[in-house]
Amino acid sequence: MNDVITTHHLTKTYGPRTVVDDLELRVPQGCVYGFLGPNGSGKSTTMKMLLSLARPSRGEITLLGRPMNRETRPALLREIGSLVEAPPGYAHLTGRENMVIVQRMLGLSDRQVSRAVATVRLQEHMDKLVRAYSLGMKQRLGIAMALAREPRLLILDEPTNGLDPAGIEEIRGLLVSLAEDGVTVMVSSHLLDEIDRMASVLGILGRGRLVFQGTRAELFDRSTPDLLVDTPEPGRALALGVPAVRSERGLRLSGLGDDDTAALVRRLVGADVPVHGVRRVQQSLEEVFMDLTGREGLL
Amino acid sequence: MTLTAVNLELRKTRRLRVVLVCAVMVAAVVALTCANLMSDSARAGFDDPGAQPWESLLMSYVMVTAMTSPLLVAVLASRQVDIEHQGQGWMLSQVAGLRPGRLCRAKATVLGALLAVAVPVQTALVVMAGLAAGITVPLSPGVWVQYAVGLLLVDLALLCLHVWLAARVENQLVGMGVGLLGAFCGVFSLLMPPALARVLPWGYYAVVSPLRMGDDGFAALTPGYGWLAVFLAVVAVLFAVAGHRFDRTEA
Ligand SMILES: Nc1ncnc2c1ncn2[C@@H]1O[C@H](COP(=O)(O)OP(=O)(O)OP(=O)(O)O)[C@@H](O)[C@H]1O
Ligand SMILES: [Mg+2]
Repeated sequence: MNDVITTHHLTKTYGPRTVVDDLELRVPQGCVYGFLGPNGSGKSTTMKMLLSLARPSRGEITLLGRPMNRETRPALLREIGSLVEAPPGYAHLTGRENMVIVQRMLGLSDRQVSRAVATVRLQEHMDKLVRAYSLGMKQRLGIAMALAREPRLLILDEPTNGLDPAGIEEIRGLLVSLAEDGVTVMVSSHLLDEIDRMASVLGILGRGRLVFQGTRAELFDRSTPDLLVDTPEPGRALALGVPAVRSERGLRLSGLGDDDTAALVRRLVGADVPVHGVRRVQQSLEEVFMDLTGREGLL
Repeated sequence: MTLTAVNLELRKTRRLRVVLVCAVMVAAVVALTCANLMSDSARAGFDDPGAQPWESLLMSYVMVTAMTSPLLVAVLASRQVDIEHQGQGWMLSQVAGLRPGRLCRAKATVLGALLAVAVPVQTALVVMAGLAAGITVPLSPGVWVQYAVGLLLVDLALLCLHVWLAARVENQLVGMGVGLLGAFCGVFSLLMPPALARVLPWGYYAVVSPLRMGDDGFAALTPGYGWLAVFLAVVAVLFAVAGHRFDRTEA
């Protein structure tokens, strides 16, 4: 499969702080790529570097098969629709006037603009001042601005921010259908649940590092389910220094591989701790995500 | 590309009321300048060259413009630039290949064109008010044209500085505060020693004045065009460098 975005050693530092660390992104053509990470993990910074809004401290970016540099930048940017952080829109102009500005800026046809507006279903609101738009309407206008150039790649930073469930569902459907038409969509979020239902490939950032990249199934494969040990005397096991927490019927241990599990059982039995049962529990995707990115807040 | 950018700025002025702001300011300047024409003492000298009625009117025009122009320029720049901060316009333009430095140049161009209309109109209105009030001493238009040109050039230079300030400092109260400070400096620069007026940007409202207050009435003064040229060149270089640096900053 062709990759539409690849990065190599992509790094961004602000003073002594490394906020994006050595990313090797691979975004395949025609997919919805869910870019996940807690607040402050570096999602927006990465997307800004992809869009030349921030300069990488180190590393290379290849977009649509071409290396990003001074010469290729203008042509590449024309093929990328984007929405980073807050949605754009001049509040004192109407939706239509805003779209005309984008149209003139990029030299687009009337047909391209009206198609983009129809895609986000904003036609009835085009003559209202953007000041009077709801947040959802602003987001949709921002997406229309990104779509009008008929991009091959869409880079959207938390496009569902502040939307109600119906609005989120609508954007989700829109992005999936764009991907079906061959547009590659990279969409960020700090909510796994929101992304999980549309993204076919996930990239997960934790503290600026890519902690996982692949499909949902691969994410499950990589995670180790928690181990439950049923015992009436959990206190004695803990006294042995077993890295566990108490659970309803005994102990719960996370991140234990097969060999470690065998060693644990041998140790408990050797110390005469009564073991009534040992079983694995499948984690939810949310727990896998939390394990990968760290449970404590990053802000 | 530059033409496109200017065109886009024109579209963005819609509902921004920059023309209205300009018109109100012009009206205020004319009213303040001509207020003295109504006094009996002034009217008594309308036909006496020794009473210097035109010189008196021009001097009050110089003082009023030195006070109001810094404010007008600050307001115009802030209105036209703040919309980019509010509407994520910098980013929107940048991902379309329109860099912030060029955006600022386009804004300065559009607002500068507006001033290039407002200043001559305002000057003509003051002169017409003088004629209408009944000044019969012959008018020498050269000195008025001279001042109008000088005023416009200083306005344009300060406009560039304010566009840059409004773009770099998101809080527009800062730019307005600087404009207010400029209004004070503008007026007081007429009383300052010329050497001091030349180091302040607003001091150039005094530098371009064709008159000064002498011991007995108003005396003609050759405006400091050499200094003005230096000032304009410095501002042009600063604006160009700032625009270039702005293009390289990050969102
Ligand atoms: N211009 C800057 N100067 C210094 N630090 C910055 C700058 N921009 C971002 N950062 C820091 O970089 C880190 C990553 O920020 P970024 O906005 O990329 O996170 P994010 O993943 O988009 O978070 P969120 O979910 O809150 O949007 C943060 O800790 C932030 O404080
Ligand atoms: Mg962000």
